[in-house]
Amino acid sequence: MSEAALTIKSVDKIYEGRGKGPVHAVKNLDMDVQRGEIVALLGSSGCGKTSTLRMIAGFEEVTRGDIVLEGRRVNQMPPARRKVAMAFEGYSLYPPLTVRDNIAFALKSARTSAKDVQRSVADVAHILEIEPILDRYPSSISGGEQQRASLARALVRQADLYLLDEPMGQLEPRLRAVLRGRLKSLLVDRRMTAIFVTHDQTEANALADRVAVMEGGVLQQFASQKDLRERPANLFVATFVGEPPMNVFEARVSNGDRVQFAIENGPTLDFSDSEVSAKVRSAIGRREKVVIGVRPHAVRLGVGSGDARVVSNQWLGDQSHLAMEVAGKLMVAVSHAPIPAKVGEHLQFGVSASDLHVFDVSTSEALSHGLEAA
Amino acid sequence: MANIEIRSVSKEFKTGKVLDRISLSAEDGEIVAIFGPSGSGKTVLLRLVAGVEQPDEGRILLGGRDVTDQAPETRSVGMAFQNFALFPHMSAFDNVASALTAHKVPRDIIRAKVEKVATLLKIEHVLGHAPRELSNGQKQRTALARALVAEPKILLLDDPLRNVDAKLRYEMRLELPSLLKASGSTVLYVTQDYKEAMALGDRIAVLSDRDFAQIARPAEIYGGPATINVASLFGDPTINLMPVEPLASSAGQKIGIGGAALSLPPGYAHMAGKPCVLGLRAENIFVEDTASPESVPVEVVAVTPLNERTLLLLRTNDGREILASEAGTNEAPRRHGAAFARFDAESVLLFDPASGRRIAPQAA
Repeated sequence: MSEAALTIKSVDKIYEGRGKGPVHAVKNLDMDVQRGEIVALLGSSGCGKTSTLRMIAGFEEVTRGDIVLEGRRVNQMPPARRKVAMAFEGYSLYPPLTVRDNIAFALKSARTSAKDVQRSVADVAHILEIEPILDRYPSSISGGEQQRASLARALVRQADLYLLDEPMGQLEPRLRAVLRGRLKSLLVDRRMTAIFVTHDQTEANALADRVAVMEGGVLQQFASQKDLRERPANLFVATFVGEPPMNVFEARVSNGDRVQFAIENGPTLDFSDSEVSAKVRSAIGRREKVVIGVRPHAVRLGVGSGDARVVSNQWLGDQSHLAMEVAGKLMVAVSHAPIPAKVGEHLQFGVSASDLHVFDVSTSEALSHGLEAA
Repeated sequence: MANIEIRSVSKEFKTGKVLDRISLSAEDGEIVAIFGPSGSGKTVLLRLVAGVEQPDEGRILLGGRDVTDQAPETRSVGMAFQNFALFPHMSAFDNVASALTAHKVPRDIIRAKVEKVATLLKIEHVLGHAPRELSNGQKQRTALARALVAEPKILLLDDPLRNVDAKLRYEMRLELPSLLKASGSTVLYVTQDYKEAMALGDRIAVLSDRDFAQIARPAEIYGGPATINVASLFGDPTINLMPVEPLASSAGQKIGIGGAALSLPPGYAHMAGKPCVLGLRAENIFVEDTASPESVPVEVVAVTPLNERTLLLLRTNDGREILASEAGTNEAPRRHGAAFARFDAESVLLFDPASGRRIAPQAA
């Protein structure tokens, strides 16, 4: 399992703009994808995720660095020879063929028996719920159906690597939740190695073993969704991953007999020597200012030294979102049960040391997560 | 008094009937979220209240006064519609202030009011910009600021957060209710996002198929949806729906799922032997490693994290697919394979398959 299916070594992508200056879309990217692993490239538009996917596919040239697929350096290899199956924009279905023939096409050319082709197409069509459109032509089906047909065409192929662009983008919510589950189950059962691009963290978390968070062409962190949530590498990841995002405040820190974080114009979070671990104290060191963060689900209500005014309290059927004003900003607490608090009233809140994240104020890099140094 | 009363109003266009004898009343200072899929007539309804469209039949009363035949400008209604409709030659500040200058408000008060509402809507830094220099989200908030600043007795908001990016949209969802309450306006708030409707509305009016399918408080709609359609519009993931047929037994009514017989809460004796649609929300299904009375043997097909919850795709012996969700993010791999699902019987919903309407339990 520890064999890399794909290695990206120090890869840069620079687009030479016409008239404008060059655009550095991907910067010094290093990444390994293991065999059988499902990886998400997550970021907002322009972060470099799609350029990365297109370089792996062979649709974009690599400006610097190497892409190694199953031990072969593929920088100069045309897409068709890379043993990569793709479902993405600009790689559309053949208009003169029915959906069924589109899906079967890749298999037929690989000299699969007619019976096997038929069975593979039927299986994947069942999983993606496109049986009713198998005999229709691409021009007569909806965008969401085209997307699933294109996904089906990629998934039936035998390939070393599957590259998928926003695989569930255009589906209605119920179908999306069910299909995500089925797609993950299919990928895991067949031990397929897959990389997909998405701007939707729900999709990334639902499907991927590891998520590569990109911003400004730079890989910010490449980790399991559990690690992204519990050990975000920097403030960008901390506030980008998680819905709702982490609450963060600048605070003056005193690291003496007690450890205190004084939020400007706000409360002071005060911890005894025994609450904060030695590792965390040494990670904070002699800094005077840090950024502290706490996830909305970890804010403790009704206890603690913080005092805040309730701005809103919203029950969404299966969870409550409570917003409080702290130091002129909103602090959000989320609970899976209704919270008995009225708008306008004051509420105590606290954060336990094990839920506190600390970041360097100038570099934004994480210093500690809970009781562990970063 | 500035309540809104819509009495049996209909509206038809060349393309067909959009609203069919709909009625809705909003109390003074109340926020009513008008929720429904796109094309369900939400915007038409606001336009009728504003007076930009005329109803074919029915009456509209604002503050107790029948305004059906009155011109829009006499109705004292504030609006922010989807097509931002900002004056292109004026700065964002002047656009917002335009709602006040017509009323001869002193300059310093205008400035203070505009700045206050701009700060709340996070556009204070772009007040000097012309509309063409604003992003769509900023244009939308400028239009919203203009509607809010005059503190109109009646405020009509047509999906005002639609073009705002997800993060800001979430913040605004938290802050808008107190902003609207502070204005004291009676608000009709159109949205396509069920979370926004639940978060903002004192009540939600669900518009579907030319009429309101249900008008109730958010928790009532979520817990007791009037129809299958309403049930499916609220909740993430969408509610599980499956055909069942309750059977009478010595211990009350039972339904069979995947080889197990589950007890229904009392009050469904009248449904014995009749086909129904069972509605069960993901968070009311508990997945356990060991069998318990009335648990259903299932296969856990996939485990997918969803924010601070974990979503489980289950398959029963009889091939039904069910979504369950658990609070917390228990780590995944051990959960694949055989397991048992236990349903919270109290939260079970039953619907009539023909009409789609919810079947209420009958008192003994």
